Amino acid sequence: MSDSSTLSILDQIAEAPADHYRVLKISDLDGDRLLELSKFMKLSLSREDMLAIQEIYRGWEREPTDVELEVIAQTWSEHCKHRIFGATITHEINGETETVDSLFKTYIRDVSQRIFEKKPGFVLSAFHDNAGFITLDENLAVCLKAETHNHPSAIEPYAGANTGLGGVIRDILGAGKGAKPIGSLDVFCFGAPDTSMDHIKATDVIHPLGVMRGVVRGVRDYGNRMGIPTISGAIQFDDSYIYNPLVFCGTAGVIPIKDIDKKVEPGMKVISVGGRTGRDGLHGATFSSAALDTESHESDQQAVQIGNPIEEKKAADFVLAARDKGLIGFITDCGAGGYSSAAGEMLEECGGVIDLDQVKLKEPGLVSWEVFISESQERMVLAVNESALPELRKLADLYETELTELGTADGSGILKVTHHGNTVCQLDCSKLHDAPVRKLKARWEKKTGPVDAPILTKPGEELKDLFTDFAIVSREPIIREYDHEVQGNTVLKPLAGASGDAPQDASVLRISGSKRLMSMSVAILPEWGKTDPYAMGAACVDECVRQLVASGADPDRLAILDNFCMGNPEAEEELGALVETVKGIAAAAEAYGAPFVSGKDSFYNYFETEDGPVSIPVTILISGMGIIEDAAHVTGASLRRSDSLLAIIGHTQSALGGSVFARRHEIANAEVPATSLDEAFKCYRQYYEAVKEGLILSAHDVSEGGLAVTLAEAAFSGKGGLEIDLCSLPMDDDASKAAMLFGESPSRLVIEVAPENLERVAKLFEGLPFAALGRATSSHTNLVVEWGKETLINESLTDLKSLWKNGLAQYY
Amino acid sequence: MEERPCAVLLKFPGTNCDAETARALEEVGFVTETLPVSALEPGKLVGVSLVVLSGGFSYGDYVMSGRIASLVTEQKIGKTLGDFRDNGGYILGICNGFQILTQLDLLPSGSLVENASGRFQCQWVTLKNLAPTSPFLTHLPAEFEFPIAHAEGRLVTKDAAEAAEYLSSGAAALTYRDEVNGSFERIAGLQDESGRVFGLMPHPERFLHRQDHYDPDWKSTGEDESRGSGYYFFRSLHESITKSN
Repeated sequence: MSDSSTLSILDQIAEAPADHYRVLKISDLDGDRLLELSKFMKLSLSREDMLAIQEIYRGWEREPTDVELEVIAQTWSEHCKHRIFGATITHEINGETETVDSLFKTYIRDVSQRIFEKKPGFVLSAFHDNAGFITLDENLAVCLKAETHNHPSAIEPYAGANTGLGGVIRDILGAGKGAKPIGSLDVFCFGAPDTSMDHIKATDVIHPLGVMRGVVRGVRDYGNRMGIPTISGAIQFDDSYIYNPLVFCGTAGVIPIKDIDKKVEPGMKVISVGGRTGRDGLHGATFSSAALDTESHESDQQAVQIGNPIEEKKAADFVLAARDKGLIGFITDCGAGGYSSAAGEMLEECGGVIDLDQVKLKEPGLVSWEVFISESQERMVLAVNESALPELRKLADLYETELTELGTADGSGILKVTHHGNTVCQLDCSKLHDAPVRKLKARWEKKTGPVDAPILTKPGEELKDLFTDFAIVSREPIIREYDHEVQGNTVLKPLAGASGDAPQDASVLRISGSKRLMSMSVAILPEWGKTDPYAMGAACVDECVRQLVASGADPDRLAILDNFCMGNPEAEEELGALVETVKGIAAAAEAYGAPFVSGKDSFYNYFETEDGPVSIPVTILISGMGIIEDAAHVTGASLRRSDSLLAIIGHTQSALGGSVFARRHEIANAEVPATSLDEAFKCYRQYYEAVKEGLILSAHDVSEGGLAVTLAEAAFSGKGGLEIDLCSLPMDDDASKAAMLFGESPSRLVIEVAPENLERVAKLFEGLPFAALGRATSSHTNLVVEWGKETLINESLTDLKSLWKNGLAQYY
Repeated sequence: MEERPCAVLLKFPGTNCDAETARALEEVGFVTETLPVSALEPGKLVGVSLVVLSGGFSYGDYVMSGRIASLVTEQKIGKTLGDFRDNGGYILGICNGFQILTQLDLLPSGSLVENASGRFQCQWVTLKNLAPTSPFLTHLPAEFEFPIAHAEGRLVTKDAAEAAEYLSSGAAALTYRDEVNGSFERIAGLQDESGRVFGLMPHPERFLHRQDHYDPDWKSTGEDESRGSGYYFFRSLHESITKSN
């Protein structure tokens, strides 16, 4: 950083043809000076990037304007271009070296491509649009997109989460020619609400409780006002998220299939709809591609904005009405990079002219680059036929939103931007696709091994203890702050059971205009990844898929999203964990035939504390959508009868690693359960057969807390007590009681069936891990778990439920 | 063929339950028109049987909920809604629509203020039907469930006596069976003296089908057990309007 008494690098090399833009003489600068310029302008471009830009301009025999440099910085930012997922990585795994030429191409795109080919007509668009679409029925398609808004939420939790959800909703509005947002998901990673202040080793860091409350309210106030039900979510609590909380926001949409393809034609008018443009939200994209420190909390406030959901609601009403009238040629949202990204995306092939003088401003005096890259919220950019403009203006008046004509697509292939009569940017976008490929090193070594499980003396007490853990306690206080039923289509709600307060796995939406329904779920297991990132990746895909299937979705019609967050990708071991995670999700996706249709990643989630840098663990969120063929297939997670039988699908392993139990007992580096992908998927297909035959009353996935917690949760519906015997549980020979009761082996489902149907269900699972576990009863309201003659657990469900319900309520 | 009565749904910036409310009305036999408030003028209510103010957050509800929407409505059409009612028209306000109706003085006086919990509450509630002869409630039993989703649903009146009077006069058509949001006398819905203006915080349009209920084993006591209580709410209204025409 330059001293205020001397000229900054920018001032030294700038010439100002007019007071609203500058030409920057970079052709003679060396690498150090180029990097200094990048830092000074907050471009988040590396030395190599700056040198590459210099080369491009040398080839053009001219110097860049500040607008052009800002545009290139946006285009090449991690946020927009995924430089690390495209990097060439030399990866050392348990001593062996391998080279990964782009994680994205190798493990995400190519895996998905192979699945697309096996399922023709199912995935209608993936990776290139704002969100990926899958076929719902002959007329409609559904889509899902998830984003992170971590850095803004760390600095300003309410506003960060608020605009995080607002942004992903716009992604859906800008998907195809405008999809209708129909449901949202929100997944958070925070420090524990009871974190001691002494434990926070930096100034100006917001306490996890403050972060949680702010984030939840931010999501609430945007989602509820937009009238989009928030139906799915998860929260992880871990010390490593104190400095870098994670906030994932996702939204699903529905669109007529005929409206998916969009194209900009020469002669089309480029218009902006919605909010005005201001200095708020400058450098959001580049800011999110850098690490946080205490100073961030002071200096980067400018990059965080407060949302205005009503502005967005008006724009949404306009967009959907315009789409239905066939008035939209192309549409995209104004997200990271503002108009520069939106217009860039729209005009990168066709080319065109944008006139910044037309932009409606919140305040006067913005210079050219500020207008062009401002990330002011609630703006959509459309390309439309000129003949459609009068009708579009009428619609804008009807819905009280502002429509501004920004420019024209012209077929030149050049993105030209004018302001006050000057050309401030003139870029051939086709020349900008090839950002330098980064070269990175990664390393991972196996961290786990056999560990003796603790001897359980009082399993009932252990169970009670688990029901007070933040990983397990009910999210009800938060769920109820979200309107999860607006639009009137939430068939399977986030809270289940006869009293409407028991846990649910996936949520299910009816889709207006279709007989089919859509299931949505999320899975996130950061604890697993600390010691076994590959197992985490596979298990996350497994859990997401399992929840979708459990709710009644067809296992052959699922699609998933990958959202990654990590600390420092230049740290070899952290990047090694990422590589292993990606391999894990890829293997599972391929085995399950569940393609990735969209994804996003967030890096530099680390913080310089008094004790040195703290990184988050590599964290993968897998969210998914599945098609449910018939409303009769919808299956909840809560016990429905007191005369039914319970059974388990799936194998119980001895491994305790990653479990809440292991964490509470401070069991370090225990083997993490692997996912038997082929066997698991066979089970899911057989389960679906059972669903179609109407044999399943309810099904709950075994996840955090293991089988004992799952059984109790199912019975929190209040329909009856449970009498369970584990003597025929399919399991490893050496599985301990702790592993049987509290291990978190993936791919397991507890199902409830009517007594007369058990035989038929068991037959469907011949040759697969399956066993009857016991029965529901009206004679008591306890969870009784026996192992042969030994009673392991006999606890009141009312007491367990009360622990579970109050765990978070006291902090929220 | 029987003529279907026409319902107009007023849509303010921030109204967000209009689509599912229109769907509910159409399902019981109305034709509907969703009218953005920018296009509202007195003539738009000619030939209309029912005006619906649906749920949402009109203008964001950053000042008192429903306040700006009521001012804009008065500015656009003055007292036309009152005349509409006097001429036999029906007016329904759901959630934010109820909040707007209280601001428009079309219902017995009262205000919907922040829930006693200080929170937004999305949950199901059991309601007591205190006005079984109301045109909105004829097909509903003495107790039934609807979902609520609001931050400002606590009905307060100028004093406790006024709320008690609403109970005895029949103005309080619906009450919560249990304590929910701190409403005086647990009032959940109000009707005017004509019985044709009705406002309620719960959302009948979210409970058209049995499958909308959180308990998969819930069954309606109505004639068609696949229907939800919300369906019977709108059906009552449709029947009352077609009979009175």
